[in-house]
Amino acid sequence: MESQEIQRVRGTNDVLPRERASQQAALDQWRSLFALYGYQPIDTPVLEPTDLFLRKSGEEIAARMYSFTHWNRNLCLRPEFTASVIRAYVNHLQDRPLPVRLQYAGPTFRYEKPQRVRHRQFTEVGVECIGAEGPAADAEVLATARHGLEVVGLPGARFVVGHLGAVLDLLGQLGMPLRAQSLVLGSMERLSRSPTDSQLVVERLVSMLGAGEDGDEENGSLGDLLRSFGPEGAARIAEDLLERANFSLSGGSRSPSEIVERLLSKWDRPDPTPALQRASDFIAQLRSAAGPPREALPALRGVLASFDLPDAPVRDVERALEYFEAYGGQPAAVEVDLSLARGLRYYTGLVFEVYDDEENQIAGGGRYDDLVRALGGRSSLPACGFSFGLERVLAALERKQASAVVAPAVEVLVVPVAVDDYPEAAHVAADLRGAGVASEVDLRFRGIKANLRHADHERIPLVAIVGEREREESVVLVHDMRAFSEVRVPRGDVVNGVKGRLSSTSVEAM
Amino acid sequence: MVLPSKGMEDETLAFLGACGLSVDRSNPRQYRARIQSLSNVEVTFQRAGDIFEKVDEGSVDLGITGYDVVAEYRREDDRVSVLLPELGYGRCSLVLATPESWIDVSSVHDLSEIAALTRAAGRELRVATKYPNLTREFLYDHGVNYFSLMESSGALEAAPTLGYADLIADITSSGVTLRENRLKTVAGGTILESEACLIGNRVALAADPAKLECTRLLLEAMESSLRARPFLSVTANVQGGTPEAVARRVIAHGDLGLQGPTIARVHPKSADDDTDWYAVTVIVSRDRLQDAVDSLRRAGAADITAIQVAYVFESKAWSYEALLRAIQPNGAR
Repeated sequence: MESQEIQRVRGTNDVLPRERASQQAALDQWRSLFALYGYQPIDTPVLEPTDLFLRKSGEEIAARMYSFTHWNRNLCLRPEFTASVIRAYVNHLQDRPLPVRLQYAGPTFRYEKPQRVRHRQFTEVGVECIGAEGPAADAEVLATARHGLEVVGLPGARFVVGHLGAVLDLLGQLGMPLRAQSLVLGSMERLSRSPTDSQLVVERLVSMLGAGEDGDEENGSLGDLLRSFGPEGAARIAEDLLERANFSLSGGSRSPSEIVERLLSKWDRPDPTPALQRASDFIAQLRSAAGPPREALPALRGVLASFDLPDAPVRDVERALEYFEAYGGQPAAVEVDLSLARGLRYYTGLVFEVYDDEENQIAGGGRYDDLVRALGGRSSLPACGFSFGLERVLAALERKQASAVVAPAVEVLVVPVAVDDYPEAAHVAADLRGAGVASEVDLRFRGIKANLRHADHERIPLVAIVGEREREESVVLVHDMRAFSEVRVPRGDVVNGVKGRLSSTSVEAM
Repeated sequence: MVLPSKGMEDETLAFLGACGLSVDRSNPRQYRARIQSLSNVEVTFQRAGDIFEKVDEGSVDLGITGYDVVAEYRREDDRVSVLLPELGYGRCSLVLATPESWIDVSSVHDLSEIAALTRAAGRELRVATKYPNLTREFLYDHGVNYFSLMESSGALEAAPTLGYADLIADITSSGVTLRENRLKTVAGGTILESEACLIGNRVALAADPAKLECTRLLLEAMESSLRARPFLSVTANVQGGTPEAVARRVIAHGDLGLQGPTIARVHPKSADDDTDWYAVTVIVSRDRLQDAVDSLRRAGAADITAIQVAYVFESKAWSYEALLRAIQPNGAR
């Protein structure tokens, strides 16, 4: 049977030399830039315990992880870097003086519907600044992101800056239970979109949180009656009643008292609709007040005041943007939007996303002051960070500029005329490499003419030919592909001869 | 073509028979047989659960199995297409079932909260199932995020009682087994509705025109037979002057037939009988039979007969057209 081509896994990409070169260029630029700000490189495993991302990253991410059981352990491919970096910090670096600045780059994985700019394996490149609170650190992270886009040639991207404090304050004021808060935070994007959409979301959340079909009148009055016996009495009576009705509550993994307690608490639960409606209205108002800082900041203050909420989140954003400006460079286009939620649940303060000219998100980040503690840190530590989506930044770059001229793989092609000339050719190539000149030896013994064609095709500037005659005369024939010239260089002078030609002709010929 | 043995075997053979594709199985113990009307189709029998795999690997070209199996085993890179999704038998549902004693649980939303509570208590909600992929996706879609799946092939219904799972996701058709094991379904907890379906290996069919033609004949027979199921052909004798007059009278007394009545003259047995009887034929769906009979009576009909329509062929076999699209290079599935 003919052996079949094996296709790569859907949503993943082979990065071929040309693209790989532009990736590496961006990676190198960012690595040195982040180092200029004091961020030290760190690497963490691609494979992590699933629990790491379930603790704080939010419920939505669980559904999008590549997770599996291997010998009874729940493992996953990391869906993002921050939780891994903080885990590593908690494991190893807690004794370091603060702040600890770390940078990283590597593949991350999410099981999503692949689209033009969305892949299932993608590369995140970013920084985390651990142990610094408030607008000063937020501004540094914003400035690093802006600077990072500038160095790779993508200035003027649009920054959308938000702050989760506003919504968190409101949810606290409404006295929503944690699970409800988490559901609202997870639905913020849809709640801010359109009135019809948000109405659907509210209805869904009500059914998820409410007493559901048990919440009718009948149960209400039974609940009232039971409540009059006090919490413990109610549970005892309910259990007793069910037992007398010959309804066994045993036979599952939950204890009878657990079941009765939850049933009573379900009856007790207030209708979540008003609170959800208010949260939905609030988010919609935040969204409609979004815009450039000059207009948005006062408008947002107004919204917060009308909901009796402190204006601290707006002050935070205002200060951070002020400091952000002080970092200089080409100013970014900034929009303030306090309904911005980001996909991950661990954010607690200022958050931001960066968009290219086609409205693809190319970077994002923010403040996550509870994560260190949640991942087992000794004390609670403020922290913030951001990451670029490498592939997306490069896609935006590629649209902007004509594709760069690809550098040839080597500068010299060393050609043995016959098989017997191979050892001498290998030696010449070794001498060149020793001097830092990238060289390849013809391994297919193509002959001179075919080799010259090959060099032309691959844009290799010099071809060094070694034949029997050259060996006898102790010279190397150096053919310059761009100057169409050929010179005989003494064998002992090959390195200098080649280097000289590379530096002179490359300038005039290119 | 591979057919399910055990469980769905009798129903499958009955279905094929109704499509005019009777399977000639000389000995019921034999695992090979032929379809009488399509002599180049060889039939084998496998467990329903293995059929998807056999078709995917290409050791057989076509198969009939439960849609539940297809939905659970399908992959992004498989070679299997569902050629006919609903063969009208083998119906069952994949449902979540909790112990009856969980009186605080009425809908899937309760499970989302219980999963969170269980996790807060340092445990994980354990769901036993033979359908891990469908169950996982369903639970995530319904806000149940913290759970572990206990993959099991034994008697799932006993898992909650035996204590190795908190709830189960399993196939049920009548619900009796669940009730006997003191389990209950929850509102919104149906993961999948399933029935028997016909699947085929796209790659194998695309590579061989003879197989493709054979598949076309099978699809023509099955599709037109399935389409005909609800329909009866009703014929009545109506007296009247001309065919047009009869037609007007019939149409005036009821909205009948897929298009309208077909009318043909009845030739009397004796030459001197000059009564002008016409046979009126309409096709009606089974649930409208009595309406049709009443309408025809009002139009003066006598001697009304009704027979089951065996096939309804449309201008094309749509399932075959869909297969052709799927096997085109770059064709969408």
